[in-house]
Amino acid sequence: VQPPEKPLQAEEWNKLREDFQTPEIFEEVMLNSMIRCNSPIDVAKSLLSHLAKRNGDIAYNVLVKYLTLCVQQGQVSEIRDVYDIMKVRFKILESGAYNLLIKGLSNSDQWRMALTLLEEVKKLMIPSRACYESCIKAAGRHQEMQLAFELYSEMLAKDVVPTLDVLQSFFDFSRGMKDAELQKELFGILLYLRENQIYPHKTFMRSIKLWFESIPGGNWRGHLTNIKDSGQCPVCHHQLEDSNLTEEEYSNLSERIIRDVIHGTDTFRKTSPQEFAAFQTFVENRLPFDIVIDGLNVSHIKPRKMQCENLFDAVNCLAKENARLLVLGRKHMLVNSSNWKREIMKEMQNKADFFFAENISEDDAFLLYATLRSGKHCKFVTRDFLRDHKACLSDSLTRHLFRKWQRGHQIVLKKCFSSVFSPQPAFRYDCVVQTTGDTWHIPYKDVFEEKYSYRVPRKWLCIQQK
Amino acid sequence: MQSANMLLKKIVRSSVLPFAAQHGMKKDLFPLRRTLSLSLCLKQDNSCKPSEKLDLDAWKKVMKSGLQEEASETVSEPKELSTSAAAREILQMWRLAGRSVPENISEEQLKTFMECPSKSAKKKYLRYLHLKELYKKNDKRKVEEKRERRLEAQDQASKTDETKKRSFICLWSNTMDRAYNWRAAQSMVFGQPLVFDMSYEKEMSVREVANTVRQIVLSEGCNRRSVDPFHIHFCNFKDDSLYHREFIKYYREAWGKLLITVTDQCYTEVFPKDKLIYLTADSPKVMKTFDHDKIYIVGSMVDKSIKTGVSLARAKRLGLETAALPLEKYLLWNTGAKNLTLDQMMRILLTLKDTADWKKALEFVPKRKYCGFVNKPVKELKKTLDLINMLKVGKGREEVQKQFAKNYSKKYKLK
Repeated sequence: VQPPEKPLQAEEWNKLREDFQTPEIFEEVMLNSMIRCNSPIDVAKSLLSHLAKRNGDIAYNVLVKYLTLCVQQGQVSEIRDVYDIMKVRFKILESGAYNLLIKGLSNSDQWRMALTLLEEVKKLMIPSRACYESCIKAAGRHQEMQLAFELYSEMLAKDVVPTLDVLQSFFDFSRGMKDAELQKELFGILLYLRENQIYPHKTFMRSIKLWFESIPGGNWRGHLTNIKDSGQCPVCHHQLEDSNLTEEEYSNLSERIIRDVIHGTDTFRKTSPQEFAAFQTFVENRLPFDIVIDGLNVSHIKPRKMQCENLFDAVNCLAKENARLLVLGRKHMLVNSSNWKREIMKEMQNKADFFFAENISEDDAFLLYATLRSGKHCKFVTRDFLRDHKACLSDSLTRHLFRKWQRGHQIVLKKCFSSVFSPQPAFRYDCVVQTTGDTWHIPYKDVFEEKYSYRVPRKWLCIQQK
Repeated sequence: MQSANMLLKKIVRSSVLPFAAQHGMKKDLFPLRRTLSLSLCLKQDNSCKPSEKLDLDAWKKVMKSGLQEEASETVSEPKELSTSAAAREILQMWRLAGRSVPENISEEQLKTFMECPSKSAKKKYLRYLHLKELYKKNDKRKVEEKRERRLEAQDQASKTDETKKRSFICLWSNTMDRAYNWRAAQSMVFGQPLVFDMSYEKEMSVREVANTVRQIVLSEGCNRRSVDPFHIHFCNFKDDSLYHREFIKYYREAWGKLLITVTDQCYTEVFPKDKLIYLTADSPKVMKTFDHDKIYIVGSMVDKSIKTGVSLARAKRLGLETAALPLEKYLLWNTGAKNLTLDQMMRILLTLKDTADWKKALEFVPKRKYCGFVNKPVKELKKTLDLINMLKVGKGREEVQKQFAKNYSKKYKLK
């Protein structure tokens, strides 16, 4: 339905309603389309007046719809009136109405009332992210940074995850302020990004840069740059943190992978205890390896070629400088078939160690175990993103560790048009927000949305203090 | 002349709006006059004069005025509410806001609701309750309609004649029951065993267990009514487990009289190991024929999340043979998981047992999951399909080019 352009009389509304297919929901549909078309508020008012005269009452959902329209147009006095009416009429309100009220009021000069409303919501439920964000932005806009940060930490304490937008607003609102306390809080946000491996997007990065440069007497300078593969920043020649885990992290991760990924709820789901034990003794006897290869994954790189030839190429390509290789496969590879020629397999077994798992076992789990057991220098080769194994890890901290380790240790073989592979090396440096006190290095994304969790940004913001 | 008239009319009409708006503004400036102008407005309405000024804030007055008395009543009420009462209030408000929330909610349900770990879990639970309530209401309505119709029919019947004489007493269902039970009893002695493995309680949520039990009840019904029933075994069945409690909910006192074997032993203790075959969709082996000497095991599990390989792991642990239905071989699979419900499994197995006809048996796979039956292996079919598609694409391009040429030539000809 097309909403009318000007307020209508009762009879006119009646007529419209009768013409409508389902008169019971006429008001709702009409208000929805008003919200969509952003109709003048008077039109909605005339509809409400008509409703009130006919029924002597207006349903809650209709009031909320009207409120949506008011918030959309920033009609503060109307918002207050609706709130007053709701307040008397209903004992409590539900989250949708509170969200709207807080959003509407926080954008006006009556933003303090939004804060009192937030207090009211807290008594009933955990306020939504939208509520907190409106209040934080309102406080920031009025230069009450301390209040904004209080709300922010309260939000984190309640496990409400803030959007990048709000984090960005902190940097925008504190531009040019000289306050040690404030500076500490903002550094805290940057560390929050680091801990959760979040990458800011381009506009957010710009806000960070501008804030740094605006600190009076701070002498900060920011440059956009690309980090070289060696991990050295071309601007300040600072070496970025390497992607190695600490001893503790490393042992923690291997332990968790054995527990959650390989054993899980039932060892039989991915392998069997006998097989795993056999694999463990096999690995212990031949340690340490330099590169562990997922044989089946690699053998499918070029679909036109025979699978064992693919694997053969890959092994040849990686078997340089006496690197110790381990290839993981399944037993069916040993049976002479059109894809797996016995002679080629024999030849390969001279160049690398092979372990063949049962045909129904999962070889990826073995891949992770063998690599971790070999030590920090060991890399692994597969095109698999290992997302399903990451998902088996129970807490986010270990998952972050896994991702960091994966970035530093996974080699991806890329197929070229010629017969050779070009191994894409693992990252030498760690791709997270990092600082040394007088420098900050912040990776950022070009686009807003993060499409692939395994893809890390190549662009960096380098900030240094002169 | 006419058009000029129209224009004039339009101008007059459109000038009404700004006038009304001005008027409205004025009213806002002098709030005291509002009531006066309202009454004036009403009078004018009575005098049949359309499109006059409106009181846009009239609704507020109505809302507030109706409330003054109520408000004075509520003021004295204590503000603090218990948590459950507060939750009830919130639910009420959600209902008013048009979310799918049940009208009535019991204390127990409210407790489950409050214990839901996340917002989305709460939402899902409420939606489930809401739908359940709707179904119940619909059923009730239908039953009542039916009764009314029956009463009407009876009324009419009694008007025409009083009593009909019957040569048989109507005992159909009773005799059928007896016949079925006779068959089931026979199967307890001579029938082929079919095992339901009841050891998955820990892997499932409460609702999944309830669904499982419902599916088993359905399959038991199918089995009882079939010509040559299986001898059903519930193995690994623990007394007073969640399964047990759910079964009693369905069967009530009939639970003790069911013609099936229930045991807390494992199937490996009851039957020789080499005769057992565990049916699981994850199995690498595909079932070729139905073997009348084997004992098939079905895992009693409904898996709404993704837990692959749970039943395969169980079979591996015990060193049992496994098998999957040859769905890929006979059906051109469309969407959906390859794991079927327990009652579908039961129907398929029963049909296989009676007819050994895969096509007939796989009719019980839900139609939405497959496109059709295949007589050739799917791999070959896929190749031809790809070929057809390729040809189509090639042809399509050619056709477009042809048409393009045609159109152009036409245009040129027209010129």
